[in-house]
Amino acid sequence: MIQLYNVTKKYSSDSVAVKDLTLQIGKGDFVYITGASGAGKTTFLRMLYAAEKPTRGQILINKKNITRIRGPQIPYLRRQIGVVFQDFKLLQSRTVYENVAFALEAQGKKRYEVSKKVYQALKEVGLEHRLQRRPLELSGGEQQRIAIARALVVDPLILLADEPSGNLDQDVTLEIMELFKRANARGTTVLLATHDHSLNQRFPRRVITLDQGKLVGDQQPLQV
Amino acid sequence: MLERMRYFILRALRNMRQWPFLCSAAVLTMAVALATVATFFLVVVNVEQLSQRWTKEIQLIAYLQKAPSRQDIPAILNDLKAYPEVDSVSYVSPDDAMNRFRQRLGDDASLLEGLNSQLLPASIELNLRPEFRDQEHISRIIERLENSLEVDDLRYGQKWLERFNSFVNMLRFVGIVLGGFLLLAALFIVSNTIKLTLYARRDELEIMALVGATMRFIKVPFLLEGAIQGLLGGLISLVFLMLSFSLIISRSLNSFWLTPNDFNLLFLSFNQQLILVFSGVVLGLLGSLSSLRRFVRI
Ligand SMILES: Nc1ncnc2c1ncn2[C@@H]1O[C@H](COP(=O)(O)OP(=O)(O)O)[C@@H](O)[C@H]1O
Ligand SMILES: [Mg+2]
Repeated sequence: MIQLYNVTKKYSSDSVAVKDLTLQIGKGDFVYITGASGAGKTTFLRMLYAAEKPTRGQILINKKNITRIRGPQIPYLRRQIGVVFQDFKLLQSRTVYENVAFALEAQGKKRYEVSKKVYQALKEVGLEHRLQRRPLELSGGEQQRIAIARALVVDPLILLADEPSGNLDQDVTLEIMELFKRANARGTTVLLATHDHSLNQRFPRRVITLDQGKLVGDQQPLQV
Repeated sequence: MLERMRYFILRALRNMRQWPFLCSAAVLTMAVALATVATFFLVVVNVEQLSQRWTKEIQLIAYLQKAPSRQDIPAILNDLKAYPEVDSVSYVSPDDAMNRFRQRLGDDASLLEGLNSQLLPASIELNLRPEFRDQEHISRIIERLENSLEVDDLRYGQKWLERFNSFVNMLRFVGIVLGGFLLLAALFIVSNTIKLTLYARRDELEIMALVGATMRFIKVPFLLEGAIQGLLGGLISLVFLMLSFSLIISRSLNSFWLTPNDFNLLFLSFNQQLILVFSGVVLGLLGSLSSLRRFVRI
């Protein structure tokens, strides 16, 4: 599903964010990307949804080479990828419903289709009773669940999460992890960048470790 | 398709509602700019009409150096009548001239008592065919008259008309410069208004790009917003012009300006009104296009 060959990303000549990264992630995998702050996790994810272009190397998503993707093609790549952030990136002026519907409207989906899917996605994250609220009226955990609903409402092939639990406390984090696992169980490939090792202890999965942009570890889960 | 359009329009209107101050600033600037341009256009058109009308009433008068003998007169008149431009010709002898002068003086006519009628020059009055009553043809006829007759002096108010025409030209020039300047200013303000709303909505733009909205999908509502603002600006300027034209200008000017009774000030024709409103739309579109180009990237 995701293939990287010798991918390097430099923001400037003396700052290398990702260095010579080669790895494969299969369809339906669940992978943690770990590493200290500044290790290059965010940069790695950003290259996958074409927010950054690699300086060197090749990236293939779903067998399609996106290394030299052109602007007009980018939206179609992104429709296959849901992204979740630490800071949720919700529109405060819009209702919960509108925030989730936004992703479908942006793809030009019909209105009746939108309302049905939005309701389903919100039900999936347990927020179908909060449709008309605004994000700021809700807790951090609820806001992140809205963001996850927005990412999943389009049935993406891949779900990218960049420190999704960075602002949330322990029990809320567990709820969020449960949502990722459910999405993964339905076939979505999940990449979760985090420096929280406790997640892997609770939900053991493959762990890719970066350090100063280099791949320093790639462990399959220990059989318990 | 229709649903798409509906969605875009709703989003554009929503943007405008959210920033009513910015939006009305853009609309008003465009209205002012368009109204100014249209006002100058109207002034120029009407003054030009006036000048044409005055040109049309022109009668050429050739004062002769000496009165021709009685038997030569028909031949001279026939010659002049043969000019294609000439409609009618009449000879005014020194006696006729004196009579007219006397009539004009009315009660003071006694002043002329005992004066030799030969003091006044004989003259020939030419009325031109309507299609030839313009500067160019008049100068050509004058040239020919001067070649064929012993002309002392020619009158048709040319100096005055020339000055008047150069005044019209200046008006037109000022109108173009000022109008162009105002239109540019309007463009600038619209562009900045849209840029401000873009800036205020950068989160939304970012998220739209993130969830796979195409460039077109992101841009169309902002283009629509510009177009709607332009449409409003155009309509406001049109209504303003109509009101001020009918309420103030046409009444007062018609009475104090020395225009013939049947002379009506012109307002914009229906097509010109359409053009005015349409210019507003184009102005708004250009304004938003210019700021979008710089602002929105995926
Ligand atoms: N837009 C940017 N411009 C310049 N340098 C950047 C930019 N983004 C990240 N970096 C640098 O690249 C390195 C990796 O950053 P990042 O990918 O954000 O790491 P992480 O997400 O693991 O904390 C850091 O040294 C960071 O300073
Ligand atoms: Mg990061």
